[in-house]
Amino acid sequence: MDDLESMAEFERELQTALARRPAPPHLKRKIMERRRQHAGRSPRMIWMERLAASLILAAVFGGAAFWRHQVEQRRGEEATQQVFTALRIANHALEQMNAQLAEHNRDAQ
Amino acid sequence: MAGTWQPDFEQLVDEHQSMVFSVALRMTGDYGLAEEIAQDVFLELDRHLRSIENPLHALLWLRRVAMNRSADALRRRRVRGISVEIDETHGARGEERISPLADRVERLLATVPEPQRAALVLRYQEDLTPEEIAVTLGAPLATVKSHLQRGLKLLRAKAAIHLKEYVRGA
Repeated sequence: MDDLESMAEFERELQTALARRPAPPHLKRKIMERRRQHAGRSPRMIWMERLAASLILAAVFGGAAFWRHQVEQRRGEEATQQVFTALRIANHALEQMNAQLAEHNRDAQ
Repeated sequence: MAGTWQPDFEQLVDEHQSMVFSVALRMTGDYGLAEEIAQDVFLELDRHLRSIENPLHALLWLRRVAMNRSADALRRRRVRGISVEIDETHGARGEERISPLADRVERLLATVPEPQRAALVLRYQEDLTPEEIAVTLGAPLATVKSHLQRGLKLLRAKAAIHLKEYVRGA
C-alpha cells in the first residue's frame, strides 16, 4: 500500500471514528429550562438588576476611594505631627545649649 | 427568505444539539464542559434568533459559535493553568456507548494543537471543505490547508503508535 493510498484509508477511518456523537439525553431539557428562566425575567427586571449591580459597584468603588483618601490624609497628619515634634525637640535642645553657653560666658566674665 | 422562514428554537435544538455538543466535546475533550458550552451556544442562538435568516444560516451560525465558545473555554483553562486532557470518564458518561476506536481517536485528537484540532474536527466530523473551514474559522485558506495537513500527519503518527490494532491506514 503506497503512502497516498494509506493516507486516504486513514482519512476514511478518521471520518468514521469522528462521526457526530449523540448529545446527552438531558441536554435539550436543560437548554429549555434555562431559556424559560431567562424568558421569565422582564426587560424592566433586567434593567433593575443592572441598575442595582451598577449602584453596588459604584458604592464599593466609591467607598474604597474614600477609605484610601482618609488613610492618606491620616498618614499626612501623622507625618506633620512627627515633623513638629522633631522641631520641638530640636528647639528645646538649642535652648538648652544657649542657656549653657550663656552660663559659660557669665562664668568666664 | 428572511421574511418567510420562521425559526423554531426547539426544532433547532433537536436538529443541531448533536453537532454543537460533538464540536465542543472534541475541541475541549471534556464531557461536562462540552455540555455547558452547548447550552450557552443555544441560549446565545435564542438571543440572536431574529437575525437568523434560514436553516442553513442557523447551521453555519451554530457551528461557528460552537467553535468560538470552545476556543474561549480552552483559553480560560490555559489562563487558569489547566491543561487540555481527556479524563478517564471521557466517552463513558451518559447512556451512550461509543466504539473503542472512536474513544481512542478522540483521546488522541485532544493531544493535537488547537488550531489543527479545529481544522480536523470541521473536516472529518462536519465533512467541510477547506474553503468552508476557512470561512467558519475566519482564517486564510492556506493556513487552514496547512493545519489540516500537519494535523493529519501528526494524528496519523500518533495513531501508528497507539492505535495499531484498529487503524489500517496508520
